[in-house]
Amino acid sequence: MAIIEVSNLKKSFGELEVLKQITFDVNKNDVVAVVGPSGSGKSTMLRSLVYLEEINDGSISVAGHKLVESGIYSKPKEINLITSKMGMVFQHFNLFPHLTVQENLEIAPKLLKKEPFSVIQRRSTELLEKVGLSDRAKAYPSQLSGGQKQRVAIARALMMDPEILLFDEPTSALDPELTGEVLQVMKNLAEEHMTMIVVTHEMEFAKEVANRAIFMDNGEIIETGHPSVLFTNPQFDRTKAFLNRTLR
Amino acid sequence: MSTEFINMIMPMLEGAKVTILLFLIAIVSSIPLGFILTLGVKSNNKIVSWLAQTYIYLMRGTPLLLQLLFICFGLPLLPVVGEYLVLDRFVAACLGFILNYAAYFAEIFRGGLLAIDKGQYEASHVLGLNKWQTTTRIILPQMFRIALPAISNESVTLVKDTALLYAVAVPELLHFAQTAVNRDFTVVPFFFAGMIYLAITLVLTMFFKWLERRFKFV
Repeated sequence: MAIIEVSNLKKSFGELEVLKQITFDVNKNDVVAVVGPSGSGKSTMLRSLVYLEEINDGSISVAGHKLVESGIYSKPKEINLITSKMGMVFQHFNLFPHLTVQENLEIAPKLLKKEPFSVIQRRSTELLEKVGLSDRAKAYPSQLSGGQKQRVAIARALMMDPEILLFDEPTSALDPELTGEVLQVMKNLAEEHMTMIVVTHEMEFAKEVANRAIFMDNGEIIETGHPSVLFTNPQFDRTKAFLNRTLR
Repeated sequence: MSTEFINMIMPMLEGAKVTILLFLIAIVSSIPLGFILTLGVKSNNKIVSWLAQTYIYLMRGTPLLLQLLFICFGLPLLPVVGEYLVLDRFVAACLGFILNYAAYFAEIFRGGLLAIDKGQYEASHVLGLNKWQTTTRIILPQMFRIALPAISNESVTLVKDTALLYAVAVPELLHFAQTAVNRDFTVVPFFFAGMIYLAITLVLTMFFKWLERRFKFV
């Protein structure tokens, strides 16, 4: 069952067409890896799903609710409902520097969820344990390593109980030796059948964890398929060229 | 202590009270006003933004002394409305300082806002915070922290600028020092005045240093 449906998505920055006719579905429990060269529109596509970018034309619906149809957005209330189904993890973490790790996790549910603070606290404690950072609950983001920051960011996104998690190059800003700990957390989430869309350059991770890969180039989806097939037996020259550059 | 010394120092301490009072009134009023001006500049409404920017330009582009003289001696000379604009000197001076310093604080806060990464807004959006929650919980605390050293600096300047009251004949610290110098033919009152200013700015600097430590997160 498709939980995200995207059709004919178009987006331009001025003269520059960054997304041309993007169409794809994501099923519940899918782990989708979106790969492709820099500037291919991967991040813009991902950001459109949570209304961080406004698209010019096309439709997006999430869990049966229409975010935008033929370029016309739903009412703000409906948009909020839809974006609240998704959590997002950014390349540069975007933790709140003035709040401790635990406060970073708790601020959104505290303001938005109608549940007792003790419940929120219990969940933040559990999630910090899950990402292996129970001992850093009182630390400020500036006191953490990049890998730790990103694990906090994942836990923060999970606090709002999203149905779908979006990752925008979650390991690209990390030192190579710190990517493993973040990818491990993501792998665990995949094993728990979290629906995930991951824009990434980590081809190994995509191969190992994703059940679907989408290859984008120049604002278009060139091909899509199971990573084991797409990465080993690509149908299109552009995919081949990209894989030759990255999988060497 | 000799009576001579007491006769010299007591009026100066009285004057220092005026100085401190003006400082407190000006800073407590101009910081919120400055923040409102920042919001005005950032407003999507072009007219509001233009008005705020023009105001800041005027206030920062002309001497504070000119503004003080204008409020104290210029306003009453305006045709028709002038007779209603004869303000108490101290009130007029307070008004001048508040209006002027608000413009500087507005620029300081704007700088603080510019320093905040757009990722902070994006993370707030994705977590579902609305505009108000994002502003009050995420942006403002960071903005104030970033702006703190500049606010501290501006406050020290404000303490010293209170001496401009001398020009509009509101008796404050410097006024009494000058009177004592003239009366007693001695330079000592100037030194005392300097020491009192230093004491005030020292307390102020220590207070802001404490604030900076208290809200340290980077």
